[in-house]
Amino acid sequence: MTVEATLEAPTDTRRAARFSGEALTAMGLFALSAGMVAASPLISPALGSWSQIYTILLLVSFLLVISFGQGLVILTGGLDLSVGSVMMLGGVLTTTWIGGDSATFWGVMPVVLAFGAGIGALNGIGVAMVGIPPFIMTMGVGIVTASLALGYTGGTTLGAAPPPLLLLMKGDILGAPSVIVFVLLFCLVAWTLQSRTTFGRKVYAIGSSRRAARIAGVPIVSTTILVYATSGLCATLSGAMLVGYSNGATLRMGDPYLLPSIAAVVVGGSSILGGSGNFVNTICGALFLATLESLIAASGLGQGWRTILSGLIIVGALLVQSGWISGVFASVARRVRGAGG
Amino acid sequence: MDASSERQPMLAISGLSKAYGSTVALEHVSIEIGTGEVHALLGENGAGKSTFVKSLTGVVRPDSGVMTLAGAVYAPRSILEARSRGVVAAFQELSLVPNLSVAQNFFLPRSLKHWGLNSRLRMEEKAAEILRRWGGDIPVRQTIERLTLAQRQQIELIRALERRPDLLILDEPTAALTDPGWLFEAIAERASAGGAILYISHRLAEIRQVAQRATVLRNGRSSGALRLAEASDQDIFLAMVGRSSARSGRPTPSARRSDACRLVVNDLRARNVDGVSFELREGEVLGVAALEGQGQRELFRALAGEEKQTAGQIVVEDRLQSFSCPRDALKAPGGIAFVPEERKTEGIFASLPVASNITLPRLSKLSVAGVISPTRERKAARDAAAKLDLGQRYLPFRIGALSGGNQQKAIIARALMTGAKTLLLFDPSRGIDVGTKETIYAAIRSFADRGGSVLVYSSEIPELISLVDRCLVLYRSRVVASLANAEMEEDTMMALLTGNPASASGEIGAQS
Repeated sequence: MTVEATLEAPTDTRRAARFSGEALTAMGLFALSAGMVAASPLISPALGSWSQIYTILLLVSFLLVISFGQGLVILTGGLDLSVGSVMMLGGVLTTTWIGGDSATFWGVMPVVLAFGAGIGALNGIGVAMVGIPPFIMTMGVGIVTASLALGYTGGTTLGAAPPPLLLLMKGDILGAPSVIVFVLLFCLVAWTLQSRTTFGRKVYAIGSSRRAARIAGVPIVSTTILVYATSGLCATLSGAMLVGYSNGATLRMGDPYLLPSIAAVVVGGSSILGGSGNFVNTICGALFLATLESLIAASGLGQGWRTILSGLIIVGALLVQSGWISGVFASVARRVRGAGG
Repeated sequence: MDASSERQPMLAISGLSKAYGSTVALEHVSIEIGTGEVHALLGENGAGKSTFVKSLTGVVRPDSGVMTLAGAVYAPRSILEARSRGVVAAFQELSLVPNLSVAQNFFLPRSLKHWGLNSRLRMEEKAAEILRRWGGDIPVRQTIERLTLAQRQQIELIRALERRPDLLILDEPTAALTDPGWLFEAIAERASAGGAILYISHRLAEIRQVAQRATVLRNGRSSGALRLAEASDQDIFLAMVGRSSARSGRPTPSARRSDACRLVVNDLRARNVDGVSFELREGEVLGVAALEGQGQRELFRALAGEEKQTAGQIVVEDRLQSFSCPRDALKAPGGIAFVPEERKTEGIFASLPVASNITLPRLSKLSVAGVISPTRERKAARDAAAKLDLGQRYLPFRIGALSGGNQQKAIIARALMTGAKTLLLFDPSRGIDVGTKETIYAAIRSFADRGGSVLVYSSEIPELISLVDRCLVLYRSRVVASLANAEMEEDTMMALLTGNPASASGEIGAQS
């Protein structure tokens, strides 16, 4: 039996390895997050409950939304450093333009979101049409946006959170926390956009090889502008969500989300150079980071140690994922075997 | 008989092989060069000459084979190591640093020092003295980028000669020189001082002038050494193009061939394209033959919208076109799809699966409201792969993991997927195996049989003869001949390619 099977095997028995590798990373990160939650009562008896999981999911919701846009930009081989500032602007505009008035919410919220998308589109124009490096372009736009928000508010944030956002972040819908329902829907739409639409495929193509995309007739300029606009939109949305969560906007409220938005994408296994990655992986990366954060926060360590610890764990996760550690193990094993034989 | 063969050879190589992935560049190459001998190396584009030179100078490491230099084992790992063993090359792609001065380039990588600092003055004096000695009249303070190509070539050569190497490798040394007399003298001088010279050139008359023996490379394999005095030009051409390996078949014109012009190019000018005119008909496969760098690359890119057209007209199906990017060319009447030479950087999307690579141009037709239908995409990819004999099981693979041949099949499948009626194929069979080549030829012919038009460049003449209905010969950025398939013979074409339309077997070369 076995002999026949061997004889009939095709000469090239490779499988489509990357996809299972990607799935493996996602599952690994998810398992790690679940493991951390399960082990957390050891750190503090107050943890490990449904309320801890709910807190994590609440925290991860902002990160997920902002990371989706960031992930698309990274997929093209770029980087969006303006998301923190745009997120803040989104928050500020939500409280000042809409405020605590339910009536204006449905009319003005789309305007706020479009405003954020417009700032993102500006990034895209600079990158795709003028040819400014994404790093510089988005940093510049980010600084200008933050300054605008500062000037507009005069340094003090006014206004209140619109009731529909409070309901979204703190209320229930059909017996389930509405934020969870919302995030699930968002993930479904985002994943479809990235993996199942012609737009998403063009983004992959541009990130994989810009020159090949050009020759294959992919509309590089418009697609790139759309990608950055999506990132601006996502950042603004997440700013509005944060307003609902913290019942108001603060200056610099977006800053703590800039680096995690990149980290979630990269820890999830996407290439920082573009062309590969999957939103499911970003979701798992964001879950991992949020869980880690909540655990370290509960550990009672000083701020310095907390930052060091989370940095080390992220680097460790990246090393495991890059295959570097397994490579080192393999070469050590080879040497040991070589010495033995 | 020959003095050089009696002495100990300066360089002896046997069984040298080198493959890049699945592409075999050199296969069991053997060569022997005596002390004081000028040995010519001949071969068509892609025959393996550059890989051979790179192996000799330590730029690439051969997979197998033995090299001995002056009796000792020679296996250089870098250009510097090769240089320290007395092997120096003047490269065809000049190895000068454009933004440094002539003097600075002369002493790279080790500048002359004074008190531990680079001494500009000393370098300039020394360089001027060396140049004077070789009869070069070039300002030493000038940066390289401001010199003419001929001056750069001269500096490249003098820099190599000045090192008085035991083995001097000259790769197309006269390509840019206007008066190579001084070089021939310098070569003779080096040879009489006991150095060996490997001389690579397309120009046969020149080779007869400087060299005694020649080795021919063809498809990565070497012929035995030919004594030039005893070999006719005909013999040498045959050794280069390989009559024996030539595919004997000639194509049958497609049934859908008509006199209607799909593409009319009139006095097209672009960088390195100097007034090219031709017509491409429906159902026709039109070939382009040229040695390296005769403008074929820019011609194809201008037609694909990837190179700026400076003058002339491109008319597709009776409508005047102006392309600013390949997308415009794809949207031209009937569509023009381009398969570039650089498969790795311009062809494949390495990180994407084969299926996505193939279906990209047709995604909008495989989707509803922008959402791709997985079943329809899978079916489209399968059908396209089947047309090119590409295994179904490869479809989910990352294309970067596939062999060059399978990648090329996928890229051609993508070009067909665009639905374009005109294909521009630039060296579509470069670096792929024979079986895949046959598949690609068949796909090209069947495309023409269905009324499609193809413009195809190939570096291999036998390939063109067996594939195209008609062939343009480019020389120095112009079309110098247009041959019907029946008129295409390897030796005549070789003569045309080297700029010698006079005769095929008589005096060839000496063109500069």
